[in-house]
Amino acid sequence: VSFRQRVLSTEWSALAVAILIGFSILSLLSPAFLTEFNLYVMLRSFCVVLVVAFAQMLTLAVGQLNLSIGALGGLVAIAVGGMMEKFGLPVGLAILIGVLIGVAGGLVNGLLTVRTGINGFIITLATASAFEGVNLGITRSIPFYNLPPGFVAFGTERFFAMPYLLIPPVIVAIALGFFLARTVPGRYLLAVGGNAQAAELSGIPRDRIIILAHALSGLLAAVGAILAVAQLGSAQPTIGADWLIISFAAPIIGGAALTGGHISVAATALAVVLIVLIQNGMVLAQVDPYWVEFMLGALILAAVGLNRLRAIRAGAA
Amino acid sequence: MTLSASAHDRPGLGAWVAEQSGAIGLAAIVILLWIVFMSLAPGFVSSFNLFAISRSVAVDIVIGFSTMVVLATGGMNLAIGAIGVCSVMLAGYLMQVQGWPMATALAAALFLGGLLGWINGFAIVRSGVNAFIITLATASLFMGGMLILTKAIIYNGVPPEIAAFGRLRWNFVSPLLLIAIVIGAALIVLFRFTTLGREILAAGANARAAELSGVPVGRVIIIAHTLSGLLAASAGLMLLTRLGAAMPSIGQDWLLPSFLAPVLGGTLLSGGAVSIVGAALGALLVATIRSGLLILQVGNFWLQLFLGVMLLLAVLLDRYRNVYAERRGLGRRT
Repeated sequence: VSFRQRVLSTEWSALAVAILIGFSILSLLSPAFLTEFNLYVMLRSFCVVLVVAFAQMLTLAVGQLNLSIGALGGLVAIAVGGMMEKFGLPVGLAILIGVLIGVAGGLVNGLLTVRTGINGFIITLATASAFEGVNLGITRSIPFYNLPPGFVAFGTERFFAMPYLLIPPVIVAIALGFFLARTVPGRYLLAVGGNAQAAELSGIPRDRIIILAHALSGLLAAVGAILAVAQLGSAQPTIGADWLIISFAAPIIGGAALTGGHISVAATALAVVLIVLIQNGMVLAQVDPYWVEFMLGALILAAVGLNRLRAIRAGAA
Repeated sequence: MTLSASAHDRPGLGAWVAEQSGAIGLAAIVILLWIVFMSLAPGFVSSFNLFAISRSVAVDIVIGFSTMVVLATGGMNLAIGAIGVCSVMLAGYLMQVQGWPMATALAAALFLGGLLGWINGFAIVRSGVNAFIITLATASLFMGGMLILTKAIIYNGVPPEIAAFGRLRWNFVSPLLLIAIVIGAALIVLFRFTTLGREILAAGANARAAELSGVPVGRVIIIAHTLSGLLAASAGLMLLTRLGAAMPSIGQDWLLPSFLAPVLGGTLLSGGAVSIVGAALGALLVATIRSGLLILQVGNFWLQLFLGVMLLLAVLLDRYRNVYAERRGLGRRT
């Protein structure tokens, strides 16, 4: 097998090609594209989206889905902001508690799904509404603005084009790749998603793995929310409100199957790069911001169609 | 009343009660809540508040129906809000900018709803991809397309008759409620007495078995989605009469109520069974709680939490009711 064939056979080759083409076109057409500041802006908007996409990817891995990522994120965001502003907790402690809230929310999702046997769609639709209700009930839609300067600075400062905000998502991506490829629970996760029954028959604790996936999804939603607070410099109750479509778009464009067992950290990350690149191109071209929403829908449909074509070809070959 | 793919006449009152236990229980909860709210806040049954409830429950019922008809096939439709707002904006544009007569504009809006629903169904059947993903994508496609075309403006120059109809009162009931009831009756006829209705339920209960017995499953799913789009457009137009203006923000908060009503009413997510009366009762329950909390001044902020917890309780209760019914050897649900 030649190098060329190997590259073409990997799932994300099409994504990589699309990103290269987009990158070349934008750098040729727009002089503003390759400036240090624009690269910084792009990398900065990459951070939250990547972690949110991973949060959904983990539930997709076990054949579940999580509609409550955004609502849970919003709850964590205002909890962290409130703890820092109202109670004056140190940044590290506030972040730790925020992450724990995320894990707890994910555990609730997982336990309810597994114990009741009810479709995860309905469970997370209900918990999403509950999380959002708590968020609005506590904040009355009023954001927390007075956050510690060090925390806000972390969200804005940069090393040349590299925002410091990028450090946590990169760590998360590497840890997740290692977890899924090299650890026993990670392999179990994919096995349960691939064929739950076969996994159970081979002695994998299926229910515990599904709960684990939901808990990790909640954890990543919390990390995404905390990054969003740092990025915005204030804890807005609306954080997470627009995460639903993007959380599904990236893993699915990256080739994840809704039936589970088939996900890729690298492909999901590349899908996020592509989305951010297109968004940035639209901003540079001064297109109506509404095109972004339209484009996300079209991209998902295109990805789904391409996957389908590839599956048919593979079946015919 | 629960209509399911395998519903045949079960003799005896006991079996009937078991089969209707969901709807009866739901009606009991609604009545109980009305008594509670009436005793806590006399303003709850003022003719003004009853009128307000009848208007909002009418729209909620049709939104619930819109999701129910696709749940019957075992699918779902996340694009209901997007379809609703696209139809409303088209109606507003045609009447205000193009000066179309009201009836033609409303008909065109309904047609657009059906067409967008058909696109959903066609994409789902042809691609073989999960309805969740397809409608999630088309929701953002429709919404984005609408915003690009309209630039998110509000059409508030629609004929005054529209808002007048929305304000119309028959004592303490809005005529909108009658529209919702007529639609419900039509759906009962569809699912109980027509081949198409039975085919939709059969396709939802077991697509393979239905296909083998000659049901054109693909076509049936496309029809169900077309119907769902049509109902979403109807709900949007009903909301248009209430608001008196075509606003791009319509439909953004439909997702939860669209599932609440049918799921509370006993429609299964796995397909093959619908309950039209149940969905209407479910919508009434949601409207009751919303209005009651508002009157008690609990505040809109906690409403979301209540609705979420209620949905959880409802599905849990349904779960244990089924287990109990099976143990007692009473009506078996499909």
